[in-house]
Amino acid sequence: MDLKKNEYYLTVFKNPWTYVKGAVLLSIFQIVSFAATVNPWGVSGAFAYWGAWIFELFGGNVDKWYYFSNSATLDAGFINSASSLRNVGVIFGALLATLLASQFRIKKLKSWRQVIAAMLGGLLMGYGARIASGCNIGALFSGISSLSLSGWVYALFILLGAFVGGKLLTKFFM
Amino acid sequence: MKEVVLECYGEACPIPLVKAQKKIEELDAGDILIVQIDHSCAMKNLPEWARKDGHNVEVDEIDDGEWEVIIEKVV
Repeated sequence: MDLKKNEYYLTVFKNPWTYVKGAVLLSIFQIVSFAATVNPWGVSGAFAYWGAWIFELFGGNVDKWYYFSNSATLDAGFINSASSLRNVGVIFGALLATLLASQFRIKKLKSWRQVIAAMLGGLLMGYGARIASGCNIGALFSGISSLSLSGWVYALFILLGAFVGGKLLTKFFM
Repeated sequence: MKEVVLECYGEACPIPLVKAQKKIEELDAGDILIVQIDHSCAMKNLPEWARKDGHNVEVDEIDDGEWEVIIEKVV
């Protein structure tokens, strides 16, 4: 039997799942995560701590930074940060999924323009997420799923931002 | 009957989709547009858009994580 043509292999590992299937699984696992860690699912908050820990590794000190004032997470370290470990899990899960589908590939860089745009975009997203006290997971997904109005406000403005971003993208990157 | 190749390797979503939408407008009915991609979400949204627009679509996995989306313009 050829595994690559096996219908169960194709359905489970190879072919993309539907958006509905993905949404239902995300909902179930965010409940599991909430129950296990006692905090709603968030992604980008942990990256601020990663930055602080790397900064401390090189002798920096963030004690006086308002953002990190009175933070038990900072002192507890990476290994005790559920959010950090979950982020690592997401990365390894994605790697596993792409390996199982036999679709892993190291992509070549298209242009320096793309590299600079990606870094600028990453910086803006990271900065925005911290100023907004959450990204599209912590503020949007977890906000709406805990019946908070703030999640819907976030949704409205992220749609506006995506609309403007989409216009800029087609204007400058096509 | 023309055959046009649109190379989109290394391009992330939604760029391959927008480029394909622009390109297909230049083609006539019966022409073939081949979009080369290595971004798995384009492998989902390209055929979805093209089928919704009424074109004939075939996806060919030419290598690990590399696809050719072959679109025959119908209308």
